[in-house]
Amino acid sequence: MAYAYLFKYIIIGDTGVGKSCLLLQFTDKRFQPVHDLTIGVEFGARMITIDGKQIKLQIWDTAGQESFRSITRSYYRGAAGALLVYDITSTRENTLKIVIGLSLMFRRDTFNHLTTWLEDARQHSNSNMVIMLIGNKSDLESRREVKKEEGEAFAREHGLIFMETSAKTASNVEEAFINTAKEIYEKIQEGVFDINNEANGIKIGPQHAATNATHAGSQGGQQAGGGCC
Amino acid sequence: MSKIPGLPPEVREPGPGVELGVEDGLLCQLIHSPEFNLFSDSVVFESIFIQVTKPGNWMDDCEGPTTVILGVTSSVPSLPLPNILLMANVTWPQGQFSTWSTPGSAPVITLSRILPLKYVELRIYDRLQRILRVRTVTEKIYYLRLHEKYPETVFQFWTRLVNILQRGLSITTKDPRIRISHCLVPKLPCRSAETSESSLPSSSRPSESSMLLAAEQNSDRFLNLSGTSQLTVHRNTNSATEIETFNCKDNTSSPASSPVISNIPMRAALSHSLWEQENADEYHIQAPVASSLGENFWGP
Repeated sequence: MAYAYLFKYIIIGDTGVGKSCLLLQFTDKRFQPVHDLTIGVEFGARMITIDGKQIKLQIWDTAGQESFRSITRSYYRGAAGALLVYDITSTRENTLKIVIGLSLMFRRDTFNHLTTWLEDARQHSNSNMVIMLIGNKSDLESRREVKKEEGEAFAREHGLIFMETSAKTASNVEEAFINTAKEIYEKIQEGVFDINNEANGIKIGPQHAATNATHAGSQGGQQAGGGCC
Repeated sequence: MSKIPGLPPEVREPGPGVELGVEDGLLCQLIHSPEFNLFSDSVVFESIFIQVTKPGNWMDDCEGPTTVILGVTSSVPSLPLPNILLMANVTWPQGQFSTWSTPGSAPVITLSRILPLKYVELRIYDRLQRILRVRTVTEKIYYLRLHEKYPETVFQFWTRLVNILQRGLSITTKDPRIRISHCLVPKLPCRSAETSESSLPSSSRPSESSMLLAAEQNSDRFLNLSGTSQLTVHRNTNSATEIETFNCKDNTSSPASSPVISNIPMRAALSHSLWEQENADEYHIQAPVASSLGENFWGP
């Protein structure tokens, strides 16, 4: 299917916070309670519409586990958006299931690690990358360890967008992905993003190249992506 | 994720790997396309497989077989071994599984995973049925049967790749006088005398296995001499400084590589044992260089 733009997203955050589940919920509209640990990158894609324009989201779901993480840093290149995910419960029970024998994660750890993730993201991505902070597992209210206000405060302090989501119930999942795209789209309209610079993680669909190239004040109408998905 | 659109015509003269569909194939074109722009300077070796259950049956009778493209490539083109495994799903717009070769029935290729090869074990599961076993460190196991459209040669390439990945690079050298053949798929017989000694398609070479064995045996010797289990040696085209640093222009071979060089027909033995760039013209400007660049790329 033809698209006007392609945005590259990267999903990052500690292991077990629900990155792959968020992706699956967004692309397939289903929840899979048990998911293999991600190693390397798993890909997803979906078309969305913003301002009447078809936008293809190319989503890179990365490994959260420390031992697989070094590779993640090389994948920030060319990302237009990042979803930085933590677990609002982040209980020992959850993480013990996942991090077998490697390290014990304690309450709130996935929230406490956000600073490290953010530093990594800022260091390895382009400065205009839009970052959405996501507190996942909002369905587990009774086990909440991180208040919503804390997430909001962190996001405000670091200039991020913020949402709480539940990959299980699909609450706010669409919104998280789409609001990130809206933010990127607005930056394109404002000329913040040079859409002809591949490093910004935005590609123009071929049939739109000529008409949209002026948005960011750059010319060239770079052909990209083949216009199909 | 993407249907391959009208792709630009091949500029280079297609080699046997291209004709066999294992080089410059659909997966390669997808990851090198602007949509992904991944590993754009690296060769991709790829084939189409059918995912099967352990005994070799079709995976899914209801919806037809699951077709995947498996490929290997290098994050840095000068690495001597591939370090990336690519997996993509293949679907046909109208379920035209049986019409692979029908003109106009272009499949949709969806890149699904990129895995560092260090987290993956490739094994030949069944030679007769041409089944490859792919096991990740998380114990996800795939049994993949090579698509029937390929000649036997292609499965031999995969077998060779599995051997290389299991045993490491057989032989390496810092001596630029040693000319190295540059890809997994052997080239057709030479357009120049320089390449004529080694490059024949493997299917036509009865002595291939013995040469591979010779290379492996020498690899063992080399490893014993060097005391290392794996060598991170690659060539760097851009860094003259680095080449000089590692004395690669020095014509005196290292003690470790000398016995190997002197005792076997190097070019013949190496021609199937290296994963490097294809451009034979680069021999003279690219000497193998011991460097940690490849490690740094993935490093912390």
